[in-house]
Amino acid sequence: MKLLETLINRRRFLKATGAVAGAGVVAGGAGVVPGLTTLSHARSPAPSADTTITKNICHQCPARCGIDVYTTGGRVHAIYGTSDHPISNGKLCPKGPLGAYILYDPDRFKGPMKRTNPSKGRDQDPGFVPISWNEALDMVAERLNGLREREESHRFALLYGRGWGASCAGLLGNFGKLYGSPNVAIGHSSMCSDGSIISKKAVDGIGGYNSYDYKNANMLLMFGAGFLEAFRPYNNNMQVWGYIRGVKVPKTRITAVDVHMNTTLAGSDRALLIKPGTDGALALAIAHVILVEGLWEKAFVGDFGDGVNRFIPGETVDPDSFEEKWVKGLVEWWNAELKDRTPRWAAQVTTLYERDILATAHEFGTTRPAIALYERGAHAHSNGIFNGMAIHTLNALVGSLYAKGGLAYQVGPSYGPLPVNADDYLDDWARAGGWKAQPRIDLKGHPDGYLLANNMMQEIGPNSLQGKPYKLDTIMFYLNNAIWTAPDVKAWEAALKELFVIETSPFPSETAMFADVILPDHTYLERLQDAPTYPFQGWPMTQLRVPAVKPLYDTKYFGDVLIELGKRINGSMGEYYQALDNTENVIRHLAKGFESDPGDNGVNSFESWKEKGVWYKRVYPYRQIDGEFYEWDGQDHARLMSADEVRGALFKTASGKFEIRSGWLEAHADWIAAKTGRDPSRLMFPIWEEPSHPGGGDLYMVTPKVALHAEGRGANLPVAIANMQPTLGGRNTIYIEINPKTARARGIPDGSRVRISSDLGAIEGFCKYYEGVRPDTLVFPMEHGHWAHGRWAKGRKPGHSGEITVNQSDRITGQCSYYTTKVRIERA
Amino acid sequence: MAKWGMVIDLDTCTGCQACTTACAMENSRLPGENWQDVLFYHEGKYPNVQLKWLPRPCMHCENPSCVSVCPTRATYKDPEGGFVLIDWNRCIGCKYCQVACPYGVRFYTDEKAVVQPDIRTVFPSEEGRQWDPPWKGPQDDPRRGIGIQPHGVVSKCTFCYHKVSQAPAGVPDLDEDIPELKEYVPACVRVCAPKARFFGDLDHPESRVNKLIADHRGTRLKDETGNKPQVYYLSGGASAAVPSLRAVHQDKA
Amino acid sequence: MTTATMDNKGIQMPILLVAGIGFLITAGLVMFNLSSQGHAAFNISNDGLFWGFPIVVYDFFLLTSTGIAMVACFGFLFTGETFRPLFARSLWLALAGLSGGVAVLMMELGYPLRAMFLIPFSFAFSSPLYWKVLAVIGFTVCLLLLIWRARATQSTLDSLRGLTRLTLLFAILVTALAGVVYGSQSFRPFWASGDIPAAFIVESIVGGLAFVYFFTLLAYGFQADKVPVSIRSVFAGRMGGVFAWAIVLHLVFVVGRTVNGLYGNVEGLQAWQYIVSSPLYWIELAALMTALVIMFSHALRRNILVQVAAAVLVMVGLFIGRYEYIIGGQIIPLFKGSWAPPVLSYAPSSTEWLLLIMAIFLANVVNALGGVLGITRSR
Repeated sequence: MKLLETLINRRRFLKATGAVAGAGVVAGGAGVVPGLTTLSHARSPAPSADTTITKNICHQCPARCGIDVYTTGGRVHAIYGTSDHPISNGKLCPKGPLGAYILYDPDRFKGPMKRTNPSKGRDQDPGFVPISWNEALDMVAERLNGLREREESHRFALLYGRGWGASCAGLLGNFGKLYGSPNVAIGHSSMCSDGSIISKKAVDGIGGYNSYDYKNANMLLMFGAGFLEAFRPYNNNMQVWGYIRGVKVPKTRITAVDVHMNTTLAGSDRALLIKPGTDGALALAIAHVILVEGLWEKAFVGDFGDGVNRFIPGETVDPDSFEEKWVKGLVEWWNAELKDRTPRWAAQVTTLYERDILATAHEFGTTRPAIALYERGAHAHSNGIFNGMAIHTLNALVGSLYAKGGLAYQVGPSYGPLPVNADDYLDDWARAGGWKAQPRIDLKGHPDGYLLANNMMQEIGPNSLQGKPYKLDTIMFYLNNAIWTAPDVKAWEAALKELFVIETSPFPSETAMFADVILPDHTYLERLQDAPTYPFQGWPMTQLRVPAVKPLYDTKYFGDVLIELGKRINGSMGEYYQALDNTENVIRHLAKGFESDPGDNGVNSFESWKEKGVWYKRVYPYRQIDGEFYEWDGQDHARLMSADEVRGALFKTASGKFEIRSGWLEAHADWIAAKTGRDPSRLMFPIWEEPSHPGGGDLYMVTPKVALHAEGRGANLPVAIANMQPTLGGRNTIYIEINPKTARARGIPDGSRVRISSDLGAIEGFCKYYEGVRPDTLVFPMEHGHWAHGRWAKGRKPGHSGEITVNQSDRITGQCSYYTTKVRIERA
Repeated sequence: MAKWGMVIDLDTCTGCQACTTACAMENSRLPGENWQDVLFYHEGKYPNVQLKWLPRPCMHCENPSCVSVCPTRATYKDPEGGFVLIDWNRCIGCKYCQVACPYGVRFYTDEKAVVQPDIRTVFPSEEGRQWDPPWKGPQDDPRRGIGIQPHGVVSKCTFCYHKVSQAPAGVPDLDEDIPELKEYVPACVRVCAPKARFFGDLDHPESRVNKLIADHRGTRLKDETGNKPQVYYLSGGASAAVPSLRAVHQDKA
Repeated sequence: MTTATMDNKGIQMPILLVAGIGFLITAGLVMFNLSSQGHAAFNISNDGLFWGFPIVVYDFFLLTSTGIAMVACFGFLFTGETFRPLFARSLWLALAGLSGGVAVLMMELGYPLRAMFLIPFSFAFSSPLYWKVLAVIGFTVCLLLLIWRARATQSTLDSLRGLTRLTLLFAILVTALAGVVYGSQSFRPFWASGDIPAAFIVESIVGGLAFVYFFTLLAYGFQADKVPVSIRSVFAGRMGGVFAWAIVLHLVFVVGRTVNGLYGNVEGLQAWQYIVSSPLYWIELAALMTALVIMFSHALRRNILVQVAAAVLVMVGLFIGRYEYIIGGQIIPLFKGSWAPPVLSYAPSSTEWLLLIMAIFLANVVNALGGVLGITRSR
């Protein structure tokens, strides 16, 4: 009887609590104790007929995978790759399916807001209150007009991160030109991978991210980059991986170089766990072996006049004995540097085994086509320019540049012109105002700053704070959170306290905490937005985001925010934006370019672009075959190019060749020597230079991007958090990888809470023993430590590396040296 | 009728977990309650370290030990297709099937949320389900354990029954690269970028899965249990998939 | 008749009150926690620990119940009228234990009522749990009938013999099937063994004896002079010897499993290394050994307080053993990779502890109620 009583009691209790929940008191705990109800079979097991599929492009990394967004009953519930999209081919990486979580993120901003609390700081509640779009735009426009009237328009800066296309970031240049600020817009590339772009520029004159023909390559040598974790286009990389490792005959050989064992290294034929900052030494030794053993591609590089190899370790060679073809300065490089860069020497520098270096060099030198690729791991150090040049030169030595199975550069799409030309709307201030004499706030291109860099975003906060060259007044951010991602974040926080900050992200962020006004963008599934491809296969391609649902909240696409702001600027600038009207108009005009140049998939208009989501033409215009360059003639790569044509399009160096002796660096040798103390007679070659490691610690700290790093939002997506670090089992916690030997020497138990510190401060986290990480290095994913990114991100450990990363950049490339600060670790 | 089976090629699997997140999306899984998971292991000493991984859906066994222990016949082997499914209207949440599954692929999600704060409090359900996320899919078939998991019951991978069961009769393989078939392909297979997953009819002599199993020495996990999984792994003789946990000794400072 | 004795009614009423209030409070707290947190109030997890402390408590109470019933039935069948003073009380005590265990199970299951309706009619012949539930139903019915008949009539041993045998058979069946639930899990070598049912039966009897000692003496306020001579002579006499030998047999199973487990290399058996490195295991052994020594000594086991101490030691030892057995079979996470540690760490949550206390209170409520209503009075 007691039994029944218990059950009856329980049932009644449940009813009572059900009533409470129904009254909407609290959306309490994990839920109710299961009741007696039987579930109805209300919905059909099959996707219902009112499911619509819209084309879009994923937003979680630069790759720009075409996606099919499934919407039923006005709700997005599934995302799959677009089958006829050249990058995604119907597939997805682990970030692709996260889109709906981003759309329905409960922490999103619901509309424009202004700050009411004048004090700014981490612990200050901004006191945001909702305002109308008109009020918000008028407020900003008034400020911008005021600056212009005071002839201080250069004190307005606009910083952007992942710009997508002509209808968002593409509008920024004209905005700066019409408004009159050198600081509109400044990209984030120096905090990304400019070290790669500019080290390539030094030798081949192009300076871009390469496109890679992996499918036809037989050997890949990868320095850092995280090919199977992060390297774009990640999804396509994995498709390629499946092909070259599972289907292709012969199977492509892969050697991967990194500082810890990740999935890329684990999946490769050879894993080289290298000392941070020494990748250039490994590349030099490989080049040394290739020359000594005569393995270079003679049709591309050239050869000794008599065909007898004179490259003997330690011995100089007469430059005149070698007839260079498409490279310049090979023998001078040998004499100045390479003759002593033996595998034995490199073994000491890199801590690798000599036998592994030799084996890698043999494989790379004898397997064609071969590709050497590298990204931030290799060049985010003070010697990054040389590391990059040395690695990229390997591609020249084996003749992979523009070759089948080699590397090339990306070509842009056939866009139509904008409806109006900005040059027709320049007023006097825009044309010849005082702003033209002002340097950029980041001192990019300035002898006192970074003469040769592309951008120097990491300098903006500190520079404005010190008033060097001046203090900004107003700063606007688009897909950018430099206050958190830049090194030495405290300087940024101090800088933004002084400025009027405009934030455009739809999500809470550290920037938003310092913002005076929030002009929230749509999330990507709500946008109409174009996006030409990131470097992929070289051939032209561009894609379109089509809204899957109407905007959930009172948000506005950033491109339209910019246009609306422009309309409110006094004078002819306003007229330009009236004429431009809106982003859809812009995109429709872009699409007009397809009318005369339809894509391979038949896209020839705005409507067909919307339907297919992508325009592309699968022909790359150039190809190098056996040391000769050919252009596409409509049928084949058959038209032989002249040396001048090659210089105009493919090697944009003074010599029109791949300059191992970089003419560009040589032209700035005095400046470089003055700023870096380098030997002016050697600084133009890929040489070995010891990197300098600030921070005052004894361990390297490397913070790679991982597969589930959904750009900007991964830290606040529970599904991403739960699967973020599978290798160590970081379910709800990201662990700091520490070699057990290193940990034991410091009395740090497995799984314990630790403190990592540098001269700048300290962060905390939990560590896990991992034999796959170098004993001199700590590794953890660059993801957490957000303090204002949303409820799931808040307080999640480990803290952000930026708090303890010294702001040190490569003086040539401007690359922010994220992986070079040395830190200490102790038990917290 | 078909006997659906999956082939997972460990030689080309990149360990990216797209299968996991696609499954979470398609089946509205709670964060970390992964019907489809990728399990990582590492062994060895620096610098000679093995990092390896094993993608692991439900094996949809021919002799499922979870089915035989169920005291209410809530979990069952669907004779038309060979799916192992759960009738949520019969499940009593005794968790015996979880205990009895050698592959650890059954989920009683009335546990503390893997990721805090608990997302169930953000999207609470009013009909006794675990939660009610705005991104839930249209499919809902409690008698087969499809849809949002209710409280108090066990759930598991359905082989995307709601997709696969709609496939045209007699198809040997559900290949996502064939446009007419892609909507019938399980989410984990459909997204797999390196194409390390294949899904097809194990009873169909022409199916590619059978050919792969035959040519590439497909193996079943834990075959000694006699469960006879309908998921086969190809490892090309690379390595034993699951090292003993004894190898992973607990490190102490 | 022989020695007609009286319970110390004075002690049953306070126990009833205290246990009743305690039960209401603990049950209320458990209800509150479950309704606000669901089963997340338990520390079970999909990392591999599916059956946690509530199952330990449930099994402990259930097997104690069947053990008590076995003791009562064996005692009555083999010693006849000698056991008469203990018979009705023990049967009622078995019912009290059963109620505590089932109440906990109801809190543990996802759908308890559905379980009650569905399992008996599921005809899930392949499931040990199906047969176990049928056996528990049979056991409960027999137990109630036997209590009723033992009380209602001037029943003789002969008139009760058939029903007693049936009750005993059901008690054995329930216990054995509880063993099969674990013993049949062939890929969990920690559990899997054909002799688990036998081990469970021995363990049940040991527990049954301990509970009969404890609660019988409790009924007399642990006061030697109030315990009837008939009971004292049974407890100090043959029953004490049986208790001792039963502990020996149980230790053979426990130590045997431990030694085998420590030798074995099969995945899962490494749990034994963690178990023997825990003080709990040695407390369990020490408790059982001490009880063993006490019950072997004719001199010691004559003392009622020593009997109570031995009973308590056995209760504690068996509870630890039950915990280690059920949890130990799951702490090595199968197929979880790096997501789970090589060994799961599990400790009961506050709600799970509350369930144990609730079950103790409920069982005492039922037991004391029997005393108050005079059901446990023996003729």
